[in-house]
Amino acid sequence: MTADPASPAEGNGGGEGAGPLHPSPTGFWRARVFSTDHKVIGRQFLWLGLVFLAVAGALAMLIRWQLAHPGQPVPVVGALLFPSTGGSVSAAAYTALFTMHGTIMIFFALTPILIGGFGNFCLPLLIGARDMAFPVLNMLSFWTMFAATGILTASFFTPLGPPAAGWTAYPTLSTAIGAPGVAQTLWVVAIYLNGASSVMGAVNYITTVIRFRAPGMTFFRMPLTVWGLWLAAILNALFVPVLAAGAVLLFFDRVLGTRFFVAGSAIRPGGDPVLYQHLFWIFGHPEVYILILPAWGIAGDLLSFFARKPAFGYRVTVWALIAIVVLSGLVYGHHMFVTGMSPLLGEGFMLLTMIISVPSVVLGVGWLGTLWRGAIRLTTPMLFALGLVVVFGLGGFTGLFLADVLSDVYLHDTFFVVGHFHLTMSAAVLLGAFAAIYFWFPKMFGRLLNEPLGKLHFALTLVTVIVTFGLQLVIGYAGMQRRLADPSVYAWLRPLMPLNRVISTAAFVMGAAQLLFVANFFYSLRWGPKAPPNPWQVGTLEWTLPSPPPHHNFDVIPRVVVGPHELGNPAAKRALGRDYQAQNEALPGEVPRE
Amino acid sequence: MTFLPALPRDASLHGHHVDGILGYLTVTTGICFGVLLAILLVAVAFHRGNRQAHYTHGDRPRDRLPAVIAGVVVLFGIDAVALVRSTERLREGMWRYPDDDPTATRIEVTAQQWAWNFRYPGADGQFGTADDILTLNELRVPVGKPVYVQLTSKDVIHSMYLPNFRTKIDAVPGTITRMWFQPTTAGGYEIGCAQHCGAWHYKMRGELTVLSAEDFARWQVRAAADAALRYEAADAEAHDAWTWRPAP
Repeated sequence: MTADPASPAEGNGGGEGAGPLHPSPTGFWRARVFSTDHKVIGRQFLWLGLVFLAVAGALAMLIRWQLAHPGQPVPVVGALLFPSTGGSVSAAAYTALFTMHGTIMIFFALTPILIGGFGNFCLPLLIGARDMAFPVLNMLSFWTMFAATGILTASFFTPLGPPAAGWTAYPTLSTAIGAPGVAQTLWVVAIYLNGASSVMGAVNYITTVIRFRAPGMTFFRMPLTVWGLWLAAILNALFVPVLAAGAVLLFFDRVLGTRFFVAGSAIRPGGDPVLYQHLFWIFGHPEVYILILPAWGIAGDLLSFFARKPAFGYRVTVWALIAIVVLSGLVYGHHMFVTGMSPLLGEGFMLLTMIISVPSVVLGVGWLGTLWRGAIRLTTPMLFALGLVVVFGLGGFTGLFLADVLSDVYLHDTFFVVGHFHLTMSAAVLLGAFAAIYFWFPKMFGRLLNEPLGKLHFALTLVTVIVTFGLQLVIGYAGMQRRLADPSVYAWLRPLMPLNRVISTAAFVMGAAQLLFVANFFYSLRWGPKAPPNPWQVGTLEWTLPSPPPHHNFDVIPRVVVGPHELGNPAAKRALGRDYQAQNEALPGEVPRE
Repeated sequence: MTFLPALPRDASLHGHHVDGILGYLTVTTGICFGVLLAILLVAVAFHRGNRQAHYTHGDRPRDRLPAVIAGVVVLFGIDAVALVRSTERLREGMWRYPDDDPTATRIEVTAQQWAWNFRYPGADGQFGTADDILTLNELRVPVGKPVYVQLTSKDVIHSMYLPNFRTKIDAVPGTITRMWFQPTTAGGYEIGCAQHCGAWHYKMRGELTVLSAEDFARWQVRAAADAALRYEAADAEAHDAWTWRPAP
């Protein structure tokens, strides 16, 4: 599709005129590999994220095997992976497993899928732009991430074994004292590069949303997906540099022999290991919102689309998101209640953390209000969005237990924490990612996914997620610590071992269920029915384009006249004969509002 | 009694504070989650299919009522209650260190990969003297009296976790942290490490024995004799005690 250079094409810059459109690149390297097209980069991030999701998921299976059958050889793959122990997971290998599982899931799977993949693919399309503000920076963001994954992968194959200091890499365990091998240094470098990639993306997203919205696309006409991605980008830009600072100092401690985080004994003080925890959690708490905000945004849009009515209290929802973003930067201390924090700080962080529950509840009321009296269509993306609401609800409420110092001191570093954060920032985010994949796959790849297979994938995933992480809450409540290679060392944990086996069984079913998704994805990519431009019958701008959209997205930059959720309007139905209205579609006789 | 495992047996003076707040939060958040789930399921079950959806943006002032009600219920029904109650109990329990209590048993804990070193001041009441009692992984305390520990670590961060006493605290190299509890029931309990501290983190298990006052006194006499036998003035590495720190 070529644009007519003579037409008064509107530029990306909010209605200003622009020069003629770029021709799309034709060479393999320019078009497929070092592409500056946000849609290609989005797909690259998606592929990268999915590959590492599979890797981190496989590591989780090994973790669960060890917790169900400590010291028993891993069936089938054990002899290959752990030849020196006859196929069983050694204590050292176990610590590497949970370290790499967490690191990869957070930094190299969920972040690339939602923020890299759908952030890139969706942002320009949903706001009516032809590309990102800084396309070359965008390409660099992907290739920096790619380099980071290469370095992290290399750390698996180092002489003293993979990184094993946990995904949080607390000093002094992560310094030469606890981790002498080169693997932990590679980990630090990989995290730094990953952060650099995130910041490049964030700067781009922030600028694009501020500057490149189509005429009429006011902030309060942006889809919630865009709000989620944009707010996540702001948090990324503000807080990832703090993690980077921690990573640089840790790198210095490891490589140059500085003592920022290395302390001597109590009598011979050096640096302060707890300083790192401050830096890590100043970033780390916003990070959980960086992950969940895009998923919340996507769920907010999908619930409206498939309830066939506007998002209930859209503005209130947006203000709730903004409130959460502000609060998320003020609560990190609850991760450090047992470091000997002063009671005054403890009370302050307890208060601020608990307040987050209020905007979160407002968000939930908006979701339920959207569903109420709708005409719900239980498509696969809708099911995943509903699953997100349930799973996030369960996980979110359990956060209150950890906000309260009194209960946190008991629950800290137990499986209650593991269950809580898996439900909120992993399972809920993953369900959001699946919702996004099932929803935008037709637009990304021009083909439809198989719906019955998708629904089966959903049902198995939701049930196993709730059993796995719900029971982790239970064993944590009963006192079981995290990160134990064999909990049965402790007498009071021995009665929990049957429950550990139930959790593992659910996790194995969850892992196997993902094969349905893999099969569906690859089959549909090749043989799925061709996707029409608007298979879901919704009104956001990307669905006004062919599937997949042309290189330059919009021949003519659309003029936006309504919000993103104009569904079920009786007036629109009378005028258009359908229950939805595109964002750039004025009803006959109606004067478009700017 | 139930099919779900319960909390470990509470053997401390203030453990019921924790159990109380856990119970309160479980019930209140359970109700909230139940309401959320019920509304969602009713909507999905009955408000679906080929019908005219109720066209509303939910942006009239009265549409904000459900959000306001839910926000107020959570803020005042859960957050404020938990905050006020927990702060009060922390101040009268966990955060009120027994600095002025002469009956408190004082112990210095030096954690290391992967063991707990416990040091009692001995008869002179001073740490770092020849009569200090040292034990490895075995902590003995008298029943009914406060136990006041100060901790540090030789290598990486550990966390001393006493599930039956509902408390834990990190042991951080270069820093001295503190924790106290008061056992109410004699018996044997376990000490766990809660902070990932390396490959053998899971084996960093200690034993806590709560003795009657007489048994504790008897044990102290025996242990002091043992300690005197093992004391070596030239062994500088073994003299890692610090002057007991008053609460800040």
